[in-house]
Amino acid sequence: MIGDLLLSIFNTDFLFSVIRITAPILFAAMGAVIAEKAGVVNIGLEGIMMISALFGALIGYWTQSWLVGVLGAVVVGILLALLIGFFAFKMKTDIILGGIAVNMLGAGGTIFLLYMFTGMKGNTGALVTRDLLIPTVNIPLVQSIPFLGQVLSGHSVLTYLAFLFVWLIWVILYKTPLGLNIRAVGENPNAATSIGVSVEKIQYIAIAFSGALAGLGGAFMSMYYSQGWNSGMVAGRGFIALAAQAMGRGEPLGTMLSSLLFGFAQALRTKVSGMQGVSSYLVSVIPYLVTIIGLVLYAISTMNKLKKRQVAAKGAE
Amino acid sequence: MEQEVIVEQEEVVEQEDFVVQMRGINKVYPNGIAANKDVNFSLRRGEIHAIMGENGAGKSTLMKILFGLEQPTSGEILINGQPVAIHNPQKAISLGIGMVHQHFMLVPSLTVAENIVLGMAPTTKSRLLVDYKKAVQIAEENAARYNFRIEPNSKVMDIPVGMKQKVEILKALVRGAKILILDEPTAVLTTQETTELFKELIALKEQGLTIVFISHKLKEIKQITDRLTIMRGGRTMGVYNTADISEAEISRLMVGRDVVLKVVKDKAQPTETILKVRDLEYTNRWNKKMLDKLSFSVRRGEILGIAGVEGNGQRELVEMLFNLNTPDTGTITVCGESIINQPQNKIRDRGVSLVPEDRMTYGIADIATIEENVISDRFTDSRFNKGPLFNVQEIHSECDNLIVDYRILAKSRKQQVKMLSGGNIQKVVVARELSSKPTLLIADQPTRGIDVGATEFIRNEIVELSREGAAVLLVSADLNEVIELSDSLIVMYGGKIVAYFEDTSQLDDEVMGEYMLGLKHQTEEEIAKVSYE
Amino acid sequence: MSDRRLLLFNLLRGLAAILLALAVATIFIFLSSDEPLTALKYLLVGPVVSFKATGNVFNTVSFLTILAAMIPTIFSGLAVCVMFSANQFNLGGEGAIMLGGFVGALLGIYLHLNTGLHQVVCVLAGAIAGGLIMLIPAVLKVKLGASEMVTSLMMNYVVMFVILHFLNFVFADRTKGATQTFPILETAKIPEIVANGTKLTWGFVVALVFVVIIALFMYRTKWGYAIRMIGINQSFAQYSGMQVGAVIILSQVIGGLLSGMGGSIEVLGRYNTFLWRELPGYGWLGITIAILAKNNPIFVPFAAFFIAYLNKGCDLMATYSDVPSEMIDIIQAAIFLFFAAEQFLAKYRQKIVVRNAQRDLALQEAYADQGDLALPNVAGSQGGSIS
Repeated sequence: MIGDLLLSIFNTDFLFSVIRITAPILFAAMGAVIAEKAGVVNIGLEGIMMISALFGALIGYWTQSWLVGVLGAVVVGILLALLIGFFAFKMKTDIILGGIAVNMLGAGGTIFLLYMFTGMKGNTGALVTRDLLIPTVNIPLVQSIPFLGQVLSGHSVLTYLAFLFVWLIWVILYKTPLGLNIRAVGENPNAATSIGVSVEKIQYIAIAFSGALAGLGGAFMSMYYSQGWNSGMVAGRGFIALAAQAMGRGEPLGTMLSSLLFGFAQALRTKVSGMQGVSSYLVSVIPYLVTIIGLVLYAISTMNKLKKRQVAAKGAE
Repeated sequence: MEQEVIVEQEEVVEQEDFVVQMRGINKVYPNGIAANKDVNFSLRRGEIHAIMGENGAGKSTLMKILFGLEQPTSGEILINGQPVAIHNPQKAISLGIGMVHQHFMLVPSLTVAENIVLGMAPTTKSRLLVDYKKAVQIAEENAARYNFRIEPNSKVMDIPVGMKQKVEILKALVRGAKILILDEPTAVLTTQETTELFKELIALKEQGLTIVFISHKLKEIKQITDRLTIMRGGRTMGVYNTADISEAEISRLMVGRDVVLKVVKDKAQPTETILKVRDLEYTNRWNKKMLDKLSFSVRRGEILGIAGVEGNGQRELVEMLFNLNTPDTGTITVCGESIINQPQNKIRDRGVSLVPEDRMTYGIADIATIEENVISDRFTDSRFNKGPLFNVQEIHSECDNLIVDYRILAKSRKQQVKMLSGGNIQKVVVARELSSKPTLLIADQPTRGIDVGATEFIRNEIVELSREGAAVLLVSADLNEVIELSDSLIVMYGGKIVAYFEDTSQLDDEVMGEYMLGLKHQTEEEIAKVSYE
Repeated sequence: MSDRRLLLFNLLRGLAAILLALAVATIFIFLSSDEPLTALKYLLVGPVVSFKATGNVFNTVSFLTILAAMIPTIFSGLAVCVMFSANQFNLGGEGAIMLGGFVGALLGIYLHLNTGLHQVVCVLAGAIAGGLIMLIPAVLKVKLGASEMVTSLMMNYVVMFVILHFLNFVFADRTKGATQTFPILETAKIPEIVANGTKLTWGFVVALVFVVIIALFMYRTKWGYAIRMIGINQSFAQYSGMQVGAVIILSQVIGGLLSGMGGSIEVLGRYNTFLWRELPGYGWLGITIAILAKNNPIFVPFAAFFIAYLNKGCDLMATYSDVPSEMIDIIQAAIFLFFAAEQFLAKYRQKIVVRNAQRDLALQEAYADQGDLALPNVAGSQGGSIS
């Protein structure tokens, strides 16, 4: 069985699916990264993904354009993030509670909204037709490379965008004036205030970014991954994104790697659950368990680093 | 009488060239504290103007209002004669106001250049990316213009305090500040750094800047300012030309009476050694050596003071003594038993108490009641528990006794601690820490920022405790306090003990200053005398 | 200053938040429904009134079912109160409730004991299971500094899938069409207080008893005191000599015990078999309830009643009109946002404070006029009106 497993892992289909599964988590995780850098905990990513997913599908259907649908999802994501921001920064609601509120909207509110707009319950059924799905692209040269081509080419536009965002977020954080402000606000808000950088404004921008990214993640789910919206479809990905951010030490690259780890675990689950004598439920545990283990390993490594540094300091005398 | 003084001056002043006028400023904080009461304040163009007053007199609040960090409850502000509303620091900056805060407002992980251009970073041609070279250039040009020495490429976390302050001033100047507010700028500086700063400030004044200088150090004020405004209890007590007013008069106006904070105490009769610290070493996370082979002892019945400019390892030392941090090497024993890595309840069980420097962080739980705050070290005692439940009667009477004994002015034991004044909050901490009858009391800046009445009370309580047989380690940046209160004292500089004085009665400020600033240090033999067995 | 006026203000503020949330709900109802008034009628008064041709009468049965619905949420609300009081954002209540329910049900099916003892054993086992599972995020937080929020969220999914595995592959009653366990033995079932089909079981009484116990625990014991102080200021607690790590773990284990207990009481009281196929949602409701109760256990039953009432109202509204019952989530989210908003109506609070401070000031001036040196002291005696 292990042999079968290895074989099935190192084939192009599997690796292709790892990338596909990672993409939505990556979007949300990058949202977590940029928010966290500004000192903002956005636990509402899960709810934002759900609601954006719904609106992506609906707007795509109404306008008969996948692109407008995706943009709509982004706008909805930004609005929801700003809602959390408004209550957290202006009304001084604990931001975690603000996030939970949006998650509630995501869980039940979406069903309500779907019904309100369409009269449908639970899923969008046939609204998202094949030509309303986010299109896939073959990358001209890459696709002809054996093995690699089959893994890397033929993904949806948004999949590539997700990975592009890793680099983009890094550039924003470390190379732009905005990034300088974001890091300053996250590290010492008083310093930012004292020279006239509005902490509130920067945090609004950061949380809006995280909302936009979660919105893209949501659109990816309903308009590509699940090919339609249904009520259980985000299934904790927003939370996992938070875990990926923590595991990736809040840096874009590290977070991408931990998102990939989760994508891998999820893909493995799909693979293994098809096998004889394997409980699909137990396999479903893998991604969540991997996340916990990853967090634990990360925490241990941080502790060891601290200890090593202390030992080194003592040894230097 | 003082009221008249103000009126007279204002009449003259109408025709003068004022850059700032603040009229009838009132400020009530959400916790009900009225920090400014009908305050009038004005600045002439090109002067250095001191705002003087004790901690809590409302100086910082007034300046925070001018800089847009706080909004006045009522009152008006005129800049260059025009009424303005300063809703936030951006607005203040655009009006040419810059502020250097008492606690530095820098981002440690960014470089000096990045900190200076933060919020106005130069960009490359694309306008998207930060032009870091240009940022360094801006920093260097401005530093050269005002003759400041800085290292643009160093991370702020790695540079010394004096340079951090220069970075702060440059930040304001780069933004076009014409009015510079300095909130207790010398508090963290050595004398040389202070001298250097004063030269720079005078140079800035000559370039046409108006400078507000918040301080309560009389000598500095006399040395550098043109005029001064005295505040007390949230009100203005008068505006004077510095040359026309004596130090004694300023002091009288500031504190409202001739405060001779002489502490009356018997000669110490030290007996056995309680606290023994040997060869303590500690390097902090930025690889700066904060404690360097530190050894000393404290005996029963004496107060050993630790003097020194802040940031010379005192904070780290106190952290080690209460296991809030762990030394790299060295030993700390209380009555012969090591307390390193012992949980705080074990340390307290050995009879150690701590009045912490940062009372809002360690000293109290702000939204809890007075009662809940005074029992935090003893709530597990059998006398406060009846089976699984608290013995509420016993706790009430304990709290009521402490409120009376330590003269805590509060409406009831159920009042939230954060609603009390600073002095009374500190009395809550002191009540808890002293009433446990400690064998060793560590008092870290026990009277910082509190009113005179509370200060006197707390100092007397500490002396009394030591005379009843406790060992007391007093850490204080207030030179007057540490000399007056201690029986013997050590001076810390750069993480080391540089001097030990067995008898404090003959010490004077100047000698102390030389040790505190690292200009002098005693021989190893002299210092070693504080390490008796 | 007059604390009483502030207290009254806080009460009114809470009420205003709730009304605002209901107003939001009303707007949505008018937007989505063809018969908004009917919908509103069922939402607001439907839970306790039956509408009959002969006139409207108080609906006792319906009222009792609302009380019955409070049973699990009182427990989860209490659990959240304890954990949030220690400033632990542990969101693992969901998993602990499901696990407690599952363990309780299994013992109720496979263990043979006399009734009375049987229920106690099942409920205790469920509670312990809930407590044990909470050890994981708690210990990881204390020993490694891993965020309890993230780990507890992940744990919920782990618990759910593991339970589903056992439910499907080990304990399933293959004779039934749906996936469920064998029936719970009668000896283990928690009986109704009055056998009337409302499911208002003795579990309700147990829940109320636990409200008292937890209130005493939080405000009258050293452990509760330590939990609250740690929640307010952890540095202060550590410096005071409290065993911060142990207490943080304790708070979450108690949260788990209460959640597990709530889960098992709910399953043994309401169902014949274990048939939860997803997380039951009581954990999240518990958070709403704790927020409404301001983390004070005494207020939990009232908050739980309010939420249960709204839930019932939403169900009725969905049955008798065209508004889906998921409306409850929108109302909850709105309550959440406004109720927890410190700045909501803060201007009015500031006005009260300012007025009081001015009055104190006037008093103090009066003292000062008497002209001695007592200024600083008099200032202090007015409850911190000046620094």
